[in-house]
Amino acid sequence: MRHRHPRWTAIAAAATALTLTATACGGSDEPADTGGPVTLTMSAWSLKTTPEFQKLAEAFQAQNPEVKVEFKEYDADNYDTQLTADLAAGSAPDLYVLKNLKNFITYQAGEQLLDVSDVADGLGDNVNGLGNYKVDGVTYAAPYRQDSWYLYYNKDLFTAAGVTPPSETWTWAEYEKAVADLTAGLKAAGSPAKAAYQHTWQSTVQGLALAQTPGADLGSGDYGYLAPYYERALEQQKAGSQVDYGTATTNTLQYQAQFGTQQAATMLMGSWYVATLIAQQKKGDAQSFQWGFAPAPQHDASTKDEPITFGDPTGLGVNAAIDENKVAAAKKFLTFVAGEGGATALAGIGITPATLTDPVVQAYFGVQGVPGDELSKFAFTTHDTRAENPVSPQTAALQNILQETHSAIMSESTPVDQALTQAGERARSEALTSK
Amino acid sequence: MSTTTVGGSPGIGADRTKRWYRARRSLQGVSFVLPNFLGFGLLTLGPVVALFYISFTNWNVFGKAKWIGLDNFTRLFGDTSFHRALLNTLYYSAFHIPLTLAVSLGLALLLNRKLRGVAFFRTAAFFPYITSIVAIAIAWNLLFSRDAGPINQILGLFGVTDPPGWTASSDWAMPAVIIVGVWREMGYYMLLFLAGLQTVPPELHEAARIDGANAWQRFRNVTLPCLRPTTFFVTVMLTIGSFKVFDLILVMTNGGPGQSTLVLSQYIYQKGLVENRFGYASAISVVLFALCMLVTIVQFAVNRRRNA
Amino acid sequence: MAAPHTLADTAPPRTVDPGTENPTSNRSERRLPALGKVLGHVVLVLAAAGLLLPFFWMVSSSLKADNGVFSIPVTWFPDSPQWGNYAEIWRISDMLVWLKNTVFLSVVVTLLQLFTGSFAAYGFAKTRFPGRNLLFLLYIGTIAVPWQAYMIPQFIMMSEAGLTNTPWSIIALQAFGAFGVFLMRQYYLTIPDELCEAARVDGLSEYGIYFRIMLPLSVPALASLALLTFVTTWNDYLGPLIYLRDPDLWTIQLGLKSFVSDYNAEHALIMTGSVLSVLPIAIVFLLGQKYFVQGIATSGLKG
Repeated sequence: MRHRHPRWTAIAAAATALTLTATACGGSDEPADTGGPVTLTMSAWSLKTTPEFQKLAEAFQAQNPEVKVEFKEYDADNYDTQLTADLAAGSAPDLYVLKNLKNFITYQAGEQLLDVSDVADGLGDNVNGLGNYKVDGVTYAAPYRQDSWYLYYNKDLFTAAGVTPPSETWTWAEYEKAVADLTAGLKAAGSPAKAAYQHTWQSTVQGLALAQTPGADLGSGDYGYLAPYYERALEQQKAGSQVDYGTATTNTLQYQAQFGTQQAATMLMGSWYVATLIAQQKKGDAQSFQWGFAPAPQHDASTKDEPITFGDPTGLGVNAAIDENKVAAAKKFLTFVAGEGGATALAGIGITPATLTDPVVQAYFGVQGVPGDELSKFAFTTHDTRAENPVSPQTAALQNILQETHSAIMSESTPVDQALTQAGERARSEALTSK
Repeated sequence: MSTTTVGGSPGIGADRTKRWYRARRSLQGVSFVLPNFLGFGLLTLGPVVALFYISFTNWNVFGKAKWIGLDNFTRLFGDTSFHRALLNTLYYSAFHIPLTLAVSLGLALLLNRKLRGVAFFRTAAFFPYITSIVAIAIAWNLLFSRDAGPINQILGLFGVTDPPGWTASSDWAMPAVIIVGVWREMGYYMLLFLAGLQTVPPELHEAARIDGANAWQRFRNVTLPCLRPTTFFVTVMLTIGSFKVFDLILVMTNGGPGQSTLVLSQYIYQKGLVENRFGYASAISVVLFALCMLVTIVQFAVNRRRNA
Repeated sequence: MAAPHTLADTAPPRTVDPGTENPTSNRSERRLPALGKVLGHVVLVLAAAGLLLPFFWMVSSSLKADNGVFSIPVTWFPDSPQWGNYAEIWRISDMLVWLKNTVFLSVVVTLLQLFTGSFAAYGFAKTRFPGRNLLFLLYIGTIAVPWQAYMIPQFIMMSEAGLTNTPWSIIALQAFGAFGVFLMRQYYLTIPDELCEAARVDGLSEYGIYFRIMLPLSVPALASLALLTFVTTWNDYLGPLIYLRDPDLWTIQLGLKSFVSDYNAEHALIMTGSVLSVLPIAIVFLLGQKYFVQGIATSGLKG
């Protein structure tokens, strides 16, 4: 009797341990299905409101009727958690989206991704962001969209304030002056709008600082490069040129509403917002006004021919445990979505794809509502987009530290220099030393 | 079962009867526990035991778990973020436990009577617990807003010229979270106290009243002793719940500003599900577990001594 | 006493607009003669308003347009209430399916937890067997371990058993928790052992004591356990998130999350759905509360 219960727990523990090791080395073994049509499964999220997945599948199937693509729906916010659980249990789909670049390394190092170097070789140099998925000479995924950050601006508010709108060659100094002029001009015009809206994400400050500052390196543990960007943000917040961080967080402000309802004349935001704003204007959630997007302001004039901005690609990888008979079809699909075919389909619904050839650009600016001015076209076609989350095993941990640093600085809890020094110390002791 | 404990019994026959009787009672006792234990042992205890094993490995979800002995735990010693999370967790618990205990017991006493519309008030007290946590976070953040928030406006009426920044300030974020934590959970524990209050025999109250005891004396000498098992249960659950506080912090402040409201559960979540370092996350869980058990066992001991 | 009863019984539906609730109850109090009671009620009503304020914000937001939910300053009373949101949500989403799934899970989990939990609690409180206290400590110990740390091993195990992506995974996960065992054990401890002894002398078996004496005596505890389990399962988000992938299986909390996509969120509809999802619980609470305060336990305890 006395041993009954301990034995039970021992059995339960053994069972768990067994399943852990079993799934660690096992894959899914579906019965071979040679000949006849192939069905590929692929991960996706928010299918009702995110048309890109259906669009890619439809465009592909129009050319390849023998391959069927089915979706397994995940939660947009908790995508990586759900996918990790599925992969660990061996129930993940054949192809899965690498939604966040910073988690790519986990799947790659965990041997959950098939080598798709042959697909990458076939794609050539036209695909933006492809290099991010290359580890030790082997490519493990291909991007199908490559968003990058622009400066959105409200033309009507610039006119009202009597300020000259952005140009292709704006530096931060020019931007700062424009923001100051806008603040004064809007006030004089009796407009309640602010000169800028800076969203609460760490990216809005850190992404551009990392991309634009020569020699900046996330993995160096030296975050001094962030200082000028933070000082600018704090200054604008103190001057009342933008809503302060505390107000934005406690009021859960939405950037879509801030720009869409003309509360802000400028806003730095990713290229995805183009499609959102068009949709909201159509639906009436956003007011109708003249707007456009310009390249993000630059460090100095040296990059005016190809402005530097940032953004992470969204990639697609093949599950390492995929049935062998499906590999050829999966690679075919991957080639399609990363190449011109998929890109044209995506551009047709206002999404910024990884491949930007002329037909793709035409399709994009053919979408009703996309601003067709020269500046927007320049911003869309000409930029050097650096990754916000350079691929490394430490990136996820470093970004956690920097996220805490961001809220400490922006809430004015900690002075900039002190916060950045602390971030460096923490990075070295918590992330950079870990194996 | 050993027979030595029955030593000193008069004869073999009686001994055997007694043994048989005891074994039968044991078996019956086990039969009560078994249906629940089958599910519990397999579905909860098993994975928990696995977690203890994982805390000694470098498991990262994919691939094999390599045994690394106490490495994770020695790392914890030098991990300043872990220290911060631990201190914040203790900070939260030190205020959240007594406050919630007092308020929920007070509410239960207040609403355990026949009063006009008492059903409505009980429901109202329980509402914070069932209101969507996202809505709670948004609404309370609005109330706490530094410049335009109603709370600071009321403080202004009382002459506070430099009101706190609450969730947007590293000094005041934790008090804000504690307030919302108490507000949210008092109805939950009130319910448990209400059920417990039904076991207090009115005759005892009546007798005490006849003996001339006032309301406070009756509460001290009649209600509280009768309520002890419930209070014990509530205290243990509340303690564990406070040490494990997670979703409220996640939606209210996400640990910020800086690390001012980072707590252990959130750190576990970060290390495990965000960074996929499950070995390390499990080690932190083991520490959290040990902390909870330590306090629980102390509470057990105190409770036993009071009962004796 | 008719007036207070109607006030109480219709309270939750009318909290949809607490702005009118408070004056109403104030007015009804004024008829009361005792000044102290009036004051007490005013305090209670004010406290209730404070308790319901976030809920009120939820209701008010559910009547706004998406871009109007977050604005400075806050609008507590939308200028043009979008009552259409309450029709829209049924049209554009699978609310009915989510509700059905959530009700099914909550009811099954609650029943299982009530039965196995109270049954085991009797074993822990009123019978003796070797290792009883140690085992009980193990039960409590598992409560102290954060779920997010062991959910992946658990998921792998459930997946091996073929339970993932079925409602049974949630039932298996929730129905055998230590919480119910602990709660019921503590309650049984308040029932004097003499009562059981007397019943044993009368020839009642342990099972007989459990069914005929303990269960009827523990109605208040059972009622609160039922309510708390029901609410926990109803509002559970992380469990269904990890285990239920098929949209046909989604619970209401998962379904509401589907209004959030990467670049936008339909906040007004989320709040509409949240209000709708609270109402059933409020009704269950209002109907059930007389069971956990009815005080029947005392009658049999004198022995």
